[in-house]
Amino acid sequence: MSDDRDAVELPDTIELPRLLDFYELQTAEHTGIHEFYERLHEGRLSTTRCSDCGDVQFPPRIVCPECHCDDLEYVDLPREGELFAFSMLRAGAPLGMEDEVPFVTGIVEVGDVRLSARIDGAEYDDLAIGDPVELKVVEIDGPADHERVFYRFEPR
Amino acid sequence: MTRSVGIVGGGHTRWGDREATYKDLIQEAGKATFDDVSGVGPGDIEGLFVGSVQPERFAFQTHVAPMVAELLGVAPDSMIARTELACASGQAALRYAWLAIAAGQLDTALVLGVEKMNLPDEHAAEAQSGMTNVMDREFDGVNGLNAPPYFAMVAQRHMHEYGTTREQLAQVSAKNKSHAAHNEFAQFQEEVSVDDVIDSFPLSPPLCLYDCSGITDGAAGLILMSEEKAREVTDEAAWITGSGQACFASNSVNNLPSMSAWPQATTAAEQAYDQAGIDDPVAELDVAEVHDCFSISEIVEYEDLGWVEKGEGGQFVEDGRSALDGDIAVNPRGGLLGCGHPLGATGVSQALEIYNQFRGDVPAERRVPDPETGLIHNLSGSASVHSVMTMARGRP
Ligand SMILES: [Zn+2]
Repeated sequence: MSDDRDAVELPDTIELPRLLDFYELQTAEHTGIHEFYERLHEGRLSTTRCSDCGDVQFPPRIVCPECHCDDLEYVDLPREGELFAFSMLRAGAPLGMEDEVPFVTGIVEVGDVRLSARIDGAEYDDLAIGDPVELKVVEIDGPADHERVFYRFEPR
Repeated sequence: MTRSVGIVGGGHTRWGDREATYKDLIQEAGKATFDDVSGVGPGDIEGLFVGSVQPERFAFQTHVAPMVAELLGVAPDSMIARTELACASGQAALRYAWLAIAAGQLDTALVLGVEKMNLPDEHAAEAQSGMTNVMDREFDGVNGLNAPPYFAMVAQRHMHEYGTTREQLAQVSAKNKSHAAHNEFAQFQEEVSVDDVIDSFPLSPPLCLYDCSGITDGAAGLILMSEEKAREVTDEAAWITGSGQACFASNSVNNLPSMSAWPQATTAAEQAYDQAGIDDPVAELDVAEVHDCFSISEIVEYEDLGWVEKGEGGQFVEDGRSALDGDIAVNPRGGLLGCGHPLGATGVSQALEIYNQFRGDVPAERRVPDPETGLIHNLSGSASVHSVMTMARGRP
């Protein structure tokens, strides 16, 4: 071994780009569906409806997939829904969620929309298909320059 | 179009948690593939199709098809591409190679599927991140919806709607893992009982650890040829008789047609059956390699591939109709449950298994008696896409 070799210095840890935290950037400068997130900040879960053909989408869009009209309006979804299916993540969590397992995740029906959502405030064994659940909004602390929020549900 | 296309050989790496890089796996599979087909060398390859899902994430490498060409000394002068269709990427590569040959664009193609998924233990969460963005990351992945909880909910709904039992799910895993016990390439080479499955770690209830396929490093390759070319090099081939695919404008949960049925599989199967002239799949198919990423998947597939009425999939396995000596021998290779699931390689390995069953080149413990027809099936992502291919034993 030579003592006079140049050493290449790498940092011990390489900071992860924000995309690895799973939560989208939510403001108008980042996403065309910022109004969805703005309403969520106010505690309202919403989605888009086509002003031309009336199609209601979820997730919200900027173009209607049925008629390709780009004039979409935001409509609020009910705060209360029904649990359609649920399971748990007990291991194998992605980056940023390792400290949260185990948790319940599920599918909730709210109005005409069926969406996936974390189910807070309940153990798996206490839940049943058809249980009434209610919207809650959580704040996301993390590597972004603006306050982010997301929706979850909890037993009613 | 419609030139006959045959699989004339292929090769496999050992699958598992391998002490090998992405590039090592490519070279092992390439060598095994060319070693298997005498009379075909790298210089004969006109088209190269590489199935690989997340080399960017797992191996920090992109533009992988030319890397395969370089590593194997292959100089495709007609077509070269990588296919990414999540868990069906290997079958997608095979389908494109078939199409290119059938369309007369080329005569000889190499299909290679490869995935390096195991990262050092302290980076397991990074590998899982790669598996949690297969559905809509913004609205599904964010809820922790990677494959186990997602397919657990399919199981829950299927049990709820049709009365499928926990034991029937376990029967699928026990059957397939017991086949893998006799597959030297498989990640999990241990006999497993129904009780072993039910008693394994309850990862995402109602699914337990042994209801799930693995995190797997591995690769596999195939040589495909037009009928005229195939005659020059082999007297045994697996002819591709039909190939279908379907996606119903959906990927995320709200837009899927069902959480307990996969009508896309029915559409894809009907296309393939129609092309192959199959009227009664249960009577006419001898062996099938279907996408058992989770035990529930195989049960839904019995139904939606048109083998039994909706809701009777659990009974199909319980009655032994998918056993080696049943109506259709399903997953004699060991399935994803037994072999593991190196995403881009799975469909390639399944097709090689059908060819190997045709030529009797499998251990007696998992050999299907004299198969003449076979099928491979893969779903991808939230089961939003289904791919089906049928094959027939041939002697050109
Ligand atoms: Zn519209």
